[in-house]
Amino acid sequence: MLQLVLFNVTNGLIIGAFYVLMALGVAMILNLSNVINFAHGNFLALGGYFAFTLLPYFGFWGALIAAPLIVAALGIIIERLFVRRVYNRDPVYSLLLTFGFSFIIQDVCRYIWGASGLPLTVPASLSQGLSRDLFFITGYRVFMMAVVLIAIVGLFAFLRYTRTGVRIRAGTLDLDTVAALGINVRLLRSLNFAVGIYLAGLAGVLASGQIGLNPNMGDDLLLPAFIAIIVGGVGSLTGTLLGGLLIGVASALTTVFFPSASEAVIYVIMALVLLVRPRGLFGEEGLLT
Amino acid sequence: MAVAMSALQAEGLNTFYGKSHILHDVALTVAEGRVTTLLGRNGAGKTTTLRSLVGLTPPRTGRVRMFGVETTRLPPFRVAARGIGYVPEGRRIFPNLTVHDNLLVPLQRTGPWTVARVYETFPRLAERRHSRGRQLSGGEQEMLSIARALLLNPRLLILDEPSQGLAPLIVREVFRIVAQMRREGISILLVEQNVRMGLEVADDAYVLENGKIVYAGPAATLAADEERIQALAGATAENWTLDA
Repeated sequence: MLQLVLFNVTNGLIIGAFYVLMALGVAMILNLSNVINFAHGNFLALGGYFAFTLLPYFGFWGALIAAPLIVAALGIIIERLFVRRVYNRDPVYSLLLTFGFSFIIQDVCRYIWGASGLPLTVPASLSQGLSRDLFFITGYRVFMMAVVLIAIVGLFAFLRYTRTGVRIRAGTLDLDTVAALGINVRLLRSLNFAVGIYLAGLAGVLASGQIGLNPNMGDDLLLPAFIAIIVGGVGSLTGTLLGGLLIGVASALTTVFFPSASEAVIYVIMALVLLVRPRGLFGEEGLLT
Repeated sequence: MAVAMSALQAEGLNTFYGKSHILHDVALTVAEGRVTTLLGRNGAGKTTTLRSLVGLTPPRTGRVRMFGVETTRLPPFRVAARGIGYVPEGRRIFPNLTVHDNLLVPLQRTGPWTVARVYETFPRLAERRHSRGRQLSGGEQEMLSIARALLLNPRLLILDEPSQGLAPLIVREVFRIVAQMRREGISILLVEQNVRMGLEVADDAYVLENGKIVYAGPAATLAADEERIQALAGATAENWTLDA
């Protein structure tokens, strides 16, 4: 029993970690540019596929570093050519645009890499179990958690300690004033978009090593990512972080005791949080109103 | 090209909010190194004029030149990057950021203003450097808003009602700073509801009424016209002066 609970808690933390990576990216783009990126899960899939293609040439480590950067570069191109044009318009435009990109990217993946699943081979050094009792905690799981942790700490440090990060946080509440202080807000939005997409690409590489690749692999993460943002409160990345972990662990623990409710539980959590705090746990006032 | 370059020169500005025509052929000039005040009653179009000048609400017709360069169609960040500081109405402090982080937002143009110098000039901000914007008093927020614009090392500083909602003591402090900026050679465009104080600190004055300029001339001339001042300041004519 203890093993079962432990197994599911680790599972929950890992799933939660992916929710968090997805949700942080979606939230960054939403907070600064008021665009809900429906294609975020497809950028995640692209991260995995790029890694798959790069792996034979650069090895796992090279792919882990390069694939998310390439996805981020692609994100910048799409932002500059398309997404930028719908800023300051009715949100319907950005919803339709990113929804369209979601389908396009998915079909491109299917066309290039095929509709069936593909494996991403991880180094043997990472695929062993930690011990005989904890056989289910493979080195790769620990590795994933470590990389996610580094990415999250890196993101928060970037936002807290660099001028660009400070400007992004300022722009979340008042982009006009950031512009009036001489900051190139177009560049700021591009960069911010790229950081969000980078996180998706990174999540894609990591997830592929665990569950393999398929063109829809990001889809199941998108809705929980939105819920993590809503539970945590729009405008607060700390809230998004805690929201993602909360629904990840809650969903995994429900799997132990009441498996059929494991998906419903995240919606129950959302409903309860919104009943008590309509702005979410850490939501900023005045956003998305 | 004029012999003496003006910091700002606007001609024939017509600005709309949707279908409503707010500014009618507004023309105004800020001479370099001088303080120009733009006066007018509530709703006369003062804030709209400033927003048109800095590009936040671009005029439908008209031209704006700053230090001899046309800026009419530039986005706000490019206008600001040319050395145009803007202290918006209501201060627009970033409430979620600390005082220190608020000061890290502006573009770093080279010049005398650094964060260290801001803390010297505004010791209160140094004391509150770790407080969030939303925790500051109105006066502290005003200081922070001005300090933030100064960190851009502006050649022209545009202030929108810096005395709004502040206690008289703080208002005097704000105007003392404006006078200091002027001594350092920064050109200033000041929108004020506090007519007497605006005129006291200014060299040149404009009066805006229903989106039209109805007075353009020396501040001293306007200051001597008690009838006009009463009309501008309305029933709440205030008598604070710099040395009161």
